[in-house]
Amino acid sequence: MLEVRHASKIYGSGPARVAALNDVSLRVEDGDFVAITGPSGSGKSTLLNVIGGLEKLTGGQVILDGRRIDDLSENALVDIRRKKIAYVFQQYHLIPSLTALENVLLPLTFGASNGHAEQRAMELLRRVGLEKRAGHKPSQLSGGEQQRVAIARSLVNGCTLILADEPTGNVDQKTGIEVLQLFEQVNRDGVSIIMVTHSPEIAHRARRIVSLRDGEVVSAG
Amino acid sequence: MKLLQVVFKDALRRKRRVLYTALGVAIGVAAFVAVLTVARAGEDRVYAEIDKYGPNLMVTPAVSDLDLQLGDLRLGTLAIGDNYFAEEKLLEVRRIADDAIREALDIQDEGDIATIAPKLYVDTELQGTSAMVVGIDPEQERLVKTWWIVSEGRYVEQADEAVLGARASASLRLGVGDTLLLGGEQTTVVGVLGETGSNDDYHVFVPLPTVQRLFAREGLVSAADIRALCSACPAVDIADMINEEIPGVRAVAVRQIAETEMNLVNKVNRFMITLAGITLIVGAFGVVNTMISSVHERVRDIGIMKAVGASRRQIVRMFVYEAIGVGVIGGLLGYAAGTLLSYVIGPLIFDDLAVAYELQYLGPALGLAVLVAAVASVYPAFRASQIRVAESLRSL
Ligand SMILES: Nc1ncnc2c1ncn2[C@@H]1O[C@H](COP(=O)(O)OP(=O)(O)O)[C@@H](O)[C@H]1O
Ligand SMILES: [Mg+2]
Repeated sequence: MLEVRHASKIYGSGPARVAALNDVSLRVEDGDFVAITGPSGSGKSTLLNVIGGLEKLTGGQVILDGRRIDDLSENALVDIRRKKIAYVFQQYHLIPSLTALENVLLPLTFGASNGHAEQRAMELLRRVGLEKRAGHKPSQLSGGEQQRVAIARSLVNGCTLILADEPTGNVDQKTGIEVLQLFEQVNRDGVSIIMVTHSPEIAHRARRIVSLRDGEVVSAG
Repeated sequence: MKLLQVVFKDALRRKRRVLYTALGVAIGVAAFVAVLTVARAGEDRVYAEIDKYGPNLMVTPAVSDLDLQLGDLRLGTLAIGDNYFAEEKLLEVRRIADDAIREALDIQDEGDIATIAPKLYVDTELQGTSAMVVGIDPEQERLVKTWWIVSEGRYVEQADEAVLGARASASLRLGVGDTLLLGGEQTTVVGVLGETGSNDDYHVFVPLPTVQRLFAREGLVSAADIRALCSACPAVDIADMINEEIPGVRAVAVRQIAETEMNLVNKVNRFMITLAGITLIVGAFGVVNTMISSVHERVRDIGIMKAVGASRRQIVRMFVYEAIGVGVIGGLLGYAAGTLLSYVIGPLIFDDLAVAYELQYLGPALGLAVLVAAVASVYPAFRASQIRVAESLRSL
């Protein structure tokens, strides 16, 4: 279970001071699927970043499975990224020099690989419907395909929480629905998902919707 | 998939950048290889010249014995043309030289080892012009003067035969078959030597006993060349022993004479090595520079890798792997370029120097290149490891 308690994040100081998050609290049960919506600049990305430890909080706490993770050292955060939290980005963020299969394998290269790495990566590619594209470089894949590779990559470590920042923001609506269906499938397998989205249609397919405005939670379902 | 493979694939995509970085390493390494190769060839040439000169040692009469003194008044050394020592002293010289060589090379052989070529110089008049007649042991002399060639006729064999230096033959207008009146006796010119560029060209060579008899210098010689035919022979030690044990002669190791020349070579070498060192450092800064820009280019990739679980250490390790690759490529390029460069600058520094590539420098060149690349990658790797994921991914 993930819990965000009274999180605040302030960028800059003086006249450049921006309160990106202001006393945000949130609970995400295991196996939950939360959609985060809100206008641009409302703090959605910042919220995901502080949950995953990509940015430090100015105040408040993040607790994952009963343990504070907002004050962890860099090495401890690496451990969390290898075992518990994975990311999916709007821009896919695949490594251009690696093939689809290698991109899926990458987390196992850094973390502990149990020997069946390639098999597992291939299986995940099959699951996202890209087994035929295993040997293709990102530049040879469409946006939707790249995002599916990124989802396979986020699953390879067996993480229990996926943070997805506008994963459908760069693809057309039809492809967006396909990507969403993949997330739904993954969620059915027990992985918690927190997904930022602009699309009300996609947000409504999540179990819960949390809306942000000016760094504050304005409605939580 | 291993970390090394990730680095390799990434490097393949950035071939040009990697090559460019490797060039920074290669420049310094090339300078070093070129300098060392040229220096080596220069040194080899000095020693080759010494070897070509023939003897390892020269024995002459002890001139200091001829210091002139009048009461307390020193009149200096009298330089006289006729200046000899007893031929039998050469037996002792041989004993000392052979013993020393036996010891140095650890051989038991009882026979003669060193080549000892005695010479008796007599300044005389031939055909109405002054000429230098040199009494030699034909066989031993030939062993010392390995570069001698007989351009006409044959080499001297009998007591009443002479062989002429090229210039002597021309100035005396004597050729093969002509006779020569030496001290009142007929001597036949049997051969003429090819030009050597040394004093030998002006000399008339006749067997030693003949010269001793004809010029009434029985049992005397002017000098002797000693050749040990081994580069490890302790020529300086032998010279010292001869000087200590045999009165009336002075022995000099040719290598001692050559040392002055070596000093100059060494000075030039030191200067060039300093230049190479500076080149290496400048090249290393170039490497740091290109590596930092390659960190900038890869900010996003590094951020992604960290986001999917790469630790700082792993990021550093990836840079170290790349540095090793860059070092190996730079080392190979540097070795090749340095060798080529030495073929160009060698003859400019030591005229007409024949440069030979030195395969033995390949290993050190690679080692140096990897070291430079590794050191140069420390700071960029550190910078890369400090990249913050949120910022790196937002920036694009
Ligand atoms: N690194 C930063 N430095 C300064 N301000 C930032 C930084 N990151 C985000 N912000 C500001 O924080 C606010 C929230 O940003 P963000 O979380 O990216 O919003 P969203 O993802 O909802 O569009 C915005 O006003 C943005 O300008
Ligand atoms: Mg955002």
